[in-house]
Amino acid sequence: MSIVFDGAAVRVAVDGRPEPKTLLEPVSLTLTERRVGVIGANGSGKSTLLRMLNGLVAPSSGAVAVSGFDTVRDVRAVRRRVGFVFTDPLSQLVMPTGREDVELSLRRSVRNAGERRALAEACLERFGLLALADQSVYELSGGERQLVALAAVLAVNPDILILDEPSTLLDLRNRELLRRTLAELDQQIILSTHDLDLALDLDRVLVVDEGKIVFDGGAAAAVEHYRVLCAVEAADVRGAGVRGADGDTAQP
Amino acid sequence: MRGHGFLLANYVPGTSLVHRTPLWLKFLLVLACGMGSFLVADWAAAAAGLGVLCGVFLLSGAGVRRLFRAVRPILPVLAVIGLFQWWQLDGPVAARIVLNVLVCVVAAAILTATTQVQSLLDGVASLARPFRRFGADPERFALTIAIMLRSIPFIAGAYADVRDSARARGLERNPRALVLPVFITTVAFARQTGDALAARGLGEADDGDDHEDREG
Repeated sequence: MSIVFDGAAVRVAVDGRPEPKTLLEPVSLTLTERRVGVIGANGSGKSTLLRMLNGLVAPSSGAVAVSGFDTVRDVRAVRRRVGFVFTDPLSQLVMPTGREDVELSLRRSVRNAGERRALAEACLERFGLLALADQSVYELSGGERQLVALAAVLAVNPDILILDEPSTLLDLRNRELLRRTLAELDQQIILSTHDLDLALDLDRVLVVDEGKIVFDGGAAAAVEHYRVLCAVEAADVRGAGVRGADGDTAQP
Repeated sequence: MRGHGFLLANYVPGTSLVHRTPLWLKFLLVLACGMGSFLVADWAAAAAGLGVLCGVFLLSGAGVRRLFRAVRPILPVLAVIGLFQWWQLDGPVAARIVLNVLVCVVAAAILTATTQVQSLLDGVASLARPFRRFGADPERFALTIAIMLRSIPFIAGAYADVRDSARARGLERNPRALVLPVFITTVAFARQTGDALAARGLGEADDGDDHEDREG
């Protein structure tokens, strides 16, 4: 299980601008740790980085490979190995109930309806969700929904699990539940988060700022780096804001 | 977008005769009602058909309220159509048309209230299977229908959310403040759903490793 970024960069064309906008500067990395985190401000490129791991975003230059499979050429092989959990479980739960959504995940691999049902139940049971299996996903709490989404993704047994800000919509109790659930998984996990407590659990943390990886190392050092970065930027913004206001009043 | 309690009048768990009726027979019922609506020329016959179907619906144990909920969304449209036909043609024709549409809606409600989405999808997939030789992918066909079923309530919910926030800003009379955000939300939802499906490897063409074992 290894993830290799080889000079992978993402640029997109923007209307009304001659040059493409850079979402992510060229990245070269090898991720082999069991628990890897990505932290950084909104819009810094965290999601882009994660989405490259299962081919949702293709690199504009360079390449990304998962267990030796290229995320563009062998995208199907990559997606079979990489499970992806989105921030908002409702955008990924396609079916009205948890049971049906897990069964949907299994449709391609298990064609027999009875077998599929049994497997789906085993999968929900594992996360303590069997009692909620037939409830509408809209009736579940945020934490339960996130766990159902997780169960649906893990039903097909991926090697690697990607989570894009999994705790952003959760309250403290559900965040704790998610954290414990993740800790018990065998999969290699790559997650982005604003939850610095969650980041501190990880083996390796990348700090992303304005499309660049500005820090790569142990969790505690990465979180510290990120805190300093944010403090400096906030001070800059306030300074600029005050100057701007002065400038405005100077106008006739 | 969160917390839309809307869902189409869907499965009601039960063990009634209607629940145990095989799916293909229920499919046939819906098909027959659809065909019948073109053929039945007498409003009294249409009314009788509607009566029988309502009886079958209630037999399934889904209850009068669910029956009403299944029919309610189309009542305004039916009122307009009925009045127009009455004015253009005459009373019995208008009654026949309205009743025939109701027959189709109730027949469809019977199907969805007594069949789980998964069995419905299995049914749709096996119906589409003969078309495989022409390049159709039955699983993808079934998935499309599942997504359609789920997206309608989402859009209804998005509309409700936007209307509330427009009202909070005193903009409820501005159609642009209603339509545009719903449109944008819907497109964003479609993209998210697409990403989520792609990430789960759903809706892709078959790899060729076909299992031909049939399921019930």
